[in-house]
Amino acid sequence: MGSKSISYEQALADYRVEAERPLIEQHDNKEALLSAYHPDYRADTMTTLKVGPNSGDQCHRQVAASIQADARIDEADLAGASVVETDVLVIGGGGAGCAAALVAAVAGARVILATKLRLGDSNTVMAEGGIQASIDKNDTPQMHYDDTLAAGHGYGDRSLVAQMVMDGPDVIRWLIQQGMQFDTDEFGDLLTRRAGGTSANRVCYYRDYTGLEMMRSLREAVRNSDAEVWEYSPVVELMVNEQGHCAGAVISNLKDCSYVQVIAKSVILATGGIGRMHLNDFPTSNHFGATGDGLVLAYRLGAKLRDLDSFQYHPTGLAHPHHLAGTLITEGVRSAGTWLLNGNGERFVDELKPRDVVAAAILKECAEGRGIHTNDGAQGVWLDTPGLELRNPGILKQRFPKLLNLGKKAGIDPHTSPLLIYPTLHYQNGGVAINENGETTVPGLYCVGEASGGIHGKNRIMGNALLEIISFGRRAGAHAAERRSLRGHKRVSIDHLSRLRRELTISNMPMETKGPMLFPVCAKFDDDVDYEGLRRNRRK
Amino acid sequence: MSQLNQVLFHENSRVGADLKAWESTIGAQGLSKALADTAAIIPMIEQAGLRGLGGSGFPTFKKWQFVAAQPNEQDKYLICNGNEDEPGTFKDRILLQEAPHQVIEGACVTALACGINRIIFYINPDQTESISSMQTAVAQWGDSEWFNKVERALGKPLEVRVMPSSGHYIGGEETAAIESVEGHFPFPRGKPPFPAESGVHGKPTLINNMETLSNVSHIVRNGAEWFRSLGLGEATGTKIYCLSGDVLYPGAYELPMGTPLSTLINEYGGGMLMDKKLKAVFTGGPSNTILTPKDLDVPLDYENVAARDSSLGTGAMIVISEGTGIVKRVAEYVNFFAHSSCGQCPPCKNGTFYAAQLLTRIDTGRGSRADLHALKNLCNMLPGAGRCHMLDGAMKVLTSSMQHFMHEYEQAVDR
Repeated sequence: MGSKSISYEQALADYRVEAERPLIEQHDNKEALLSAYHPDYRADTMTTLKVGPNSGDQCHRQVAASIQADARIDEADLAGASVVETDVLVIGGGGAGCAAALVAAVAGARVILATKLRLGDSNTVMAEGGIQASIDKNDTPQMHYDDTLAAGHGYGDRSLVAQMVMDGPDVIRWLIQQGMQFDTDEFGDLLTRRAGGTSANRVCYYRDYTGLEMMRSLREAVRNSDAEVWEYSPVVELMVNEQGHCAGAVISNLKDCSYVQVIAKSVILATGGIGRMHLNDFPTSNHFGATGDGLVLAYRLGAKLRDLDSFQYHPTGLAHPHHLAGTLITEGVRSAGTWLLNGNGERFVDELKPRDVVAAAILKECAEGRGIHTNDGAQGVWLDTPGLELRNPGILKQRFPKLLNLGKKAGIDPHTSPLLIYPTLHYQNGGVAINENGETTVPGLYCVGEASGGIHGKNRIMGNALLEIISFGRRAGAHAAERRSLRGHKRVSIDHLSRLRRELTISNMPMETKGPMLFPVCAKFDDDVDYEGLRRNRRK
Repeated sequence: MSQLNQVLFHENSRVGADLKAWESTIGAQGLSKALADTAAIIPMIEQAGLRGLGGSGFPTFKKWQFVAAQPNEQDKYLICNGNEDEPGTFKDRILLQEAPHQVIEGACVTALACGINRIIFYINPDQTESISSMQTAVAQWGDSEWFNKVERALGKPLEVRVMPSSGHYIGGEETAAIESVEGHFPFPRGKPPFPAESGVHGKPTLINNMETLSNVSHIVRNGAEWFRSLGLGEATGTKIYCLSGDVLYPGAYELPMGTPLSTLINEYGGGMLMDKKLKAVFTGGPSNTILTPKDLDVPLDYENVAARDSSLGTGAMIVISEGTGIVKRVAEYVNFFAHSSCGQCPPCKNGTFYAAQLLTRIDTGRGSRADLHALKNLCNMLPGAGRCHMLDGAMKVLTSSMQHFMHEYEQAVDR
């Protein structure tokens, strides 16, 4: 940004609605643009992991600091902590966690679902576009498979992707059984539409809040099932048995500030993404709880992670006003023909290019002084909604009610004023490595949803996230439920932390920070930097 | 010369299951000497001051003399005890996997000294690698001339076999091991008769720990004086210390017998993990009196540790730092004993179970003053009420934890 960039007030005063604008720059050299401006490609944001199963791998430095941090608890913290036994412990109350809990409970397992905030506080509810499933007569799972792998730059795990696309139609059927609604035609057939980068109409949807509708039905289903739901109960550490397998978790009960040890035959991590780590100080579209806890917990236990250098930055996150920074503006707005303009009113990129290219082009404009900055330190470029309205009168009201609602909250009318947007940290492409049943490399530990990795490779297409959480959530739930007949653990402890601390000490790693972070930095008021409040039951 | 890994863990000894490699270093030298003069072995072991390194510290030569004194025309048994199952002890598996020939040669020398013709390597079935390594090594000996030579010297047919134990902790107790070898559940027997008179199938039986036997060939090869000089102070030989818990570098360290606890922790263990304060050390595994920071200077040999009302045991040293709850640990250990009780003696069967229940209740915040009182009563009532020493061990750790850390128990029930 710097002194060269244009102030918000100035840019707004200069802005004119125009029906035609030439594209001034084509960005033919995609690689050069990405490597210069995309955060994933910049060498200074990456580091090499020093401890744990992924030692030697490249990783984003903030993620690395988090997964190589000291643990929050000591053995003494567990003195006096009550013990609860169950078959399946699901950690996370989003779509993946609910699907896993439901299937496990129906299979007859005793299930506890522990969630950091409330059941349904998740990124699932923010999914607007829809869910992919090859149900259209002109579509096949093979095409879905090809599209998914191609979008992931070939990095996706082929067997995982194959299984997910084959699960697609049944996932939709299952969701309907759970009570979810989809938009249908006059005959009651499901409507589908095409997502960017795909070869068929494959996205099933409900209005522009598919994820919210999905979460509504799943939440009700979980509430009506035999699964116990613990809200305000973040997991601070996993526990191991005598063989080093996962054997449960230590849960912090936020309501009475006490720890509870849950001993389980299997643990399913469904903790979601890392948006609230605010990598490279990017705003995020993620919800309050997306702090990457699952990565930290699984890594300590010895689970292998993958693709930790790959994140998705959605090009159009709202940048102003401050309190709404990071809020996602759906890709549909650009698909409909909305332009992106820099501070000089110039179109600098083809808006329909892949997300990573568009995001990098926006960052380039800002870096080279053609961006727009506000008084509170935000920056960005214009999303030319008045131009869209001029060319297609009535389109905003008809197709983008949620955008208009966002404008209302922001005090900006998208009909007459452009919106300041900036790339927003949207999705974690990688995560904990899993197999077809959602099992990690640590026996007894499963991982599903955004916290897991391997399906999307290095880039995700719209609609696959919702499919993934249900497909793998159900499989993990069913597989975990089968483990209920296994013999109980002989000895359950947090001994793996000694190994972690030894490795950290020997590698000379700083041990001031503690993980998992649980809450975003912005939520840390006064001096309670490490949530001492959580440790109140520790004996002095 | 470094004091670490001088004998049993020396690289010359750790050649794996490869008889050629063993013979090319120091292998079979001790056995050759023993074959030349079998009568000299026991006096040499006596002079060397070798003791039972499995935990008893009983002078080895005495046991041997009892067995040797039995009439020679009958079968005599040697059980090489590798049932190792106690929390914090992990030395036998290293000896068996990395130096199996050292153990076999020691057993052969022992057999020669006592007139033993049936040797059984009795190994914890969970240690599959130890068993396969020993099976390979025994087969290699069978193919060589050595067993024949031993057989000729004994004048009886020699039988050597590797046998997985039942996997019960109690199967490591001498008389329980005998039951196990006979094919029964490992119920400990009452003594007398002592195994030296009537053990496996009523025959004289010698039971030695793997570490004790491993030392034998070295003593015969290098002489008693050499062995005595290895120890510090009055102590003789070396000891494998299994260091675990909150230290930077846990592991098995072979050091001169009598090495001070502080040296073991700070010099070899790399000090306390994250520089935390030492809180307690469970010595010799979980069945002994706990050592506290004031005992850091104690030389780790049988006499000196006994002088602090504890016991060296197997040489396991579980180090606990501030930040670890004692009640939780003790609950865990007593629970281990409760699960390990063979169930023969009601005081042990019910007592350990009840104590474990009380401890778990206290540790998980559900205990009361009455529970604590009941625990104290158990500590007074139970010791000595069992046929073997398991119950005593369980109560010892409980009693000493209550002596040193009563405040933690009280805090737990006053919550």
